[in-house]
Amino acid sequence: MTVTRTKAEAAPVASVPSSPEPKRLRLNRWDAKYTPYLVIAPFFVVFGIFGLYPLVHTAWVSLHDWQLIDGNQGFVGLANYAELFGDANFWNALFNTLSLFVLSTVPQLLAALGLAALLDRGLRGRAFWRAGVLLPNVISVAAVALVFAQFFGRDFGIVNFLLGLVGIDPIDWRAETWASHLAVSTMVMWRWTGYNALLYLAAMQSVPKDMYESATLDGASRWRMFWSITVPSIRPTILFTVVTSTIGGLQLFAEPALFDPGFAANNSTGGSDRQFQTLVLYMYEKGFRLFDAGYAATIAWMLFLVVLLVAIINFSLTRRIAGKG
Amino acid sequence: MSRRLVGSVAATLVMVLAAGCGGSSGADGKIELSLGLFSDFGYDKLIEEYMASHSNIKIEQRKVKMEQHNTQLATQLAGGRGAADIVALEEGVVSQFRASKDKFVNLAEHGAKDLKSQWVDWKWNQGTTDGGEFVLGLGTDMGSLGICYRRDLFEAAGLATDREAVAKLWPTWEDYAKVADQFTAKTPNVKFVDTGRNVYKAILDQTEEGYFAKDDSYIAEKNAKVKAAFDMAAALGTKKQTGALEPFSQDWNVALKQGSFATTTCPAWSLALIKAGAGDAAAGKWDVTTAPGGGGNWGGSFLAIPKQSKHPKEAYELAKWLTAPEQQKRIFKETGNLPSQPKVYGDAEVQTFVNDYFNKAPVGKIFASSAESLKPTYRGTKDSKVGPVFGTALTRVEQGKQSAADAWTQALKEATDAAK
Repeated sequence: MTVTRTKAEAAPVASVPSSPEPKRLRLNRWDAKYTPYLVIAPFFVVFGIFGLYPLVHTAWVSLHDWQLIDGNQGFVGLANYAELFGDANFWNALFNTLSLFVLSTVPQLLAALGLAALLDRGLRGRAFWRAGVLLPNVISVAAVALVFAQFFGRDFGIVNFLLGLVGIDPIDWRAETWASHLAVSTMVMWRWTGYNALLYLAAMQSVPKDMYESATLDGASRWRMFWSITVPSIRPTILFTVVTSTIGGLQLFAEPALFDPGFAANNSTGGSDRQFQTLVLYMYEKGFRLFDAGYAATIAWMLFLVVLLVAIINFSLTRRIAGKG
Repeated sequence: MSRRLVGSVAATLVMVLAAGCGGSSGADGKIELSLGLFSDFGYDKLIEEYMASHSNIKIEQRKVKMEQHNTQLATQLAGGRGAADIVALEEGVVSQFRASKDKFVNLAEHGAKDLKSQWVDWKWNQGTTDGGEFVLGLGTDMGSLGICYRRDLFEAAGLATDREAVAKLWPTWEDYAKVADQFTAKTPNVKFVDTGRNVYKAILDQTEEGYFAKDDSYIAEKNAKVKAAFDMAAALGTKKQTGALEPFSQDWNVALKQGSFATTTCPAWSLALIKAGAGDAAAGKWDVTTAPGGGGNWGGSFLAIPKQSKHPKEAYELAKWLTAPEQQKRIFKETGNLPSQPKVYGDAEVQTFVNDYFNKAPVGKIFASSAESLKPTYRGTKDSKVGPVFGTALTRVEQGKQSAADAWTQALKEATDAAK
């Protein structure tokens, strides 16, 4: 608002060359030019302190033999990175991270899309349903993990009980790789599907209704309308959720950590054979249990690069897919 | 309007930046001491008394969960600020922190060596380094070790139920394994023990040298005793005699309530956890007896003073007072935390103390004698890095993922890496 008004006022004055600029106006111009920067500056200052500095410092630490308590033990160059690339546990953690990410994110976003489409129709008690889908997200992750860990209990878990009813032998959810991934993904999906559904719903409501009306006149089916009108129209939101889910999904920590009963005893490796140890869990093990901060920093930087890479791939993929319509 | 906005933005910034720096000196001229603890040390009343008798001192307790406590302390020591004036170090991690002793005050400088005779020898030694020259921490409680067992389940399996008789069943761990076989033959649906991991830990803790020789060199691969302990525990796992449970986890609690295992290695502090997990319905069903192989210890803590403390002298005085025999005895009476000082655990009140829930077991006497007969293991600096590797290996055996031999091979490789 300030900006437009100032421009309009300043223009005629500036066209009179000899008269000195009134002080107030000069101030106004300064105001117009720099205020926007000042207003967004706090974000960048805070980001610089809490985001950029740790990022750079972490890179610095990763080039050293750095013990958590005793600090810098000397510059080692890229030795930590070299070790990391030959570290089977790192590749295992990377595989687990990507597997958990795919297993939880893909069904989650598809389910959210479907859920949003349902909520977008004239349901009775709309507000109730809409608030309802967000509930899993506001419950603390610790509570969710606690409950799900019991659901997936080996001896007395409800999931095994239900499987038993249809004649399936009990599954040791923490012992098997695929079973543990499934269980952890369920937890993630439970927490985030509703949240993404609400984002989609908000976007869907801004799709012009007359588009649907004319499509109906043309005899398009609901399914066809959904894929040809709704999805392309909410493309920016889909891109946004894909990127945020990528970032969140690849940094998975709390769910697998709390799924491992050993975590509280501080000897967690994400399963007896690292079946569900994600990159962040591995970083935690190295940094906070083994006190090897240099190596943990190296993992952190690799994770950063992985997230960046996957986010870019996902972004361009989604843009292409959603853009086709 | 916009100028005011700029002003307020600047003000907010200043506030954000200023919030990062807090003061720590007392406004009323009192010396402020903080105590960084985990779980219940039973200090609440004692601290009030101490403040009443020392009018110039104000004490604040910070209690967090144990795993959080350790990582927090590590980062605070690294950062050089934020640690409490007195911090608790648990027995399992004390060797790890011992490696960073230059971040702690050598309590010998304050005369701690004069107190040496208060503690049972091994407890004192665990808290010192450099051949006893550097006193890192003063001992608080100890865990000691017994075996808790279900009387009703033993009876169903046709075994003795009286605690003296049960103790005679297993003078050694080989005998313990034999009892397990007898038990499983009679009642195949009940697990004999909750986890093989703790059996392994208990056996290993009775050897003088475990993963590391007394000169701190890594010897796990050539120490036959490590292999023997592993094989013994793995055999229980292979025969499906263990519940493959993580001790003190939710699943463990449920298993307690369902009565699905019959024995567990139990330090003094775990009695309360067993009671909480098994519930009132199991009152009198659990009992405590001595562990095979002669004594043991699991857990117990030390009070140490980080070098960053502004009042090391006052902190030392407080730590000394809190760990003195009179106070240890009071804590035992209030919380049941087992004293680590012969004078206290030899006291009639401790010796005659019985636990009603555990079928009136004379737990004071059982745990005191177990601690007395203990010849503790030397714990290497990297013990806490190496140890868990063997624990997860045993879990793999229990889960049926690996044979005992494969699990051992993998564990040894991981341990050698961790010990580098």
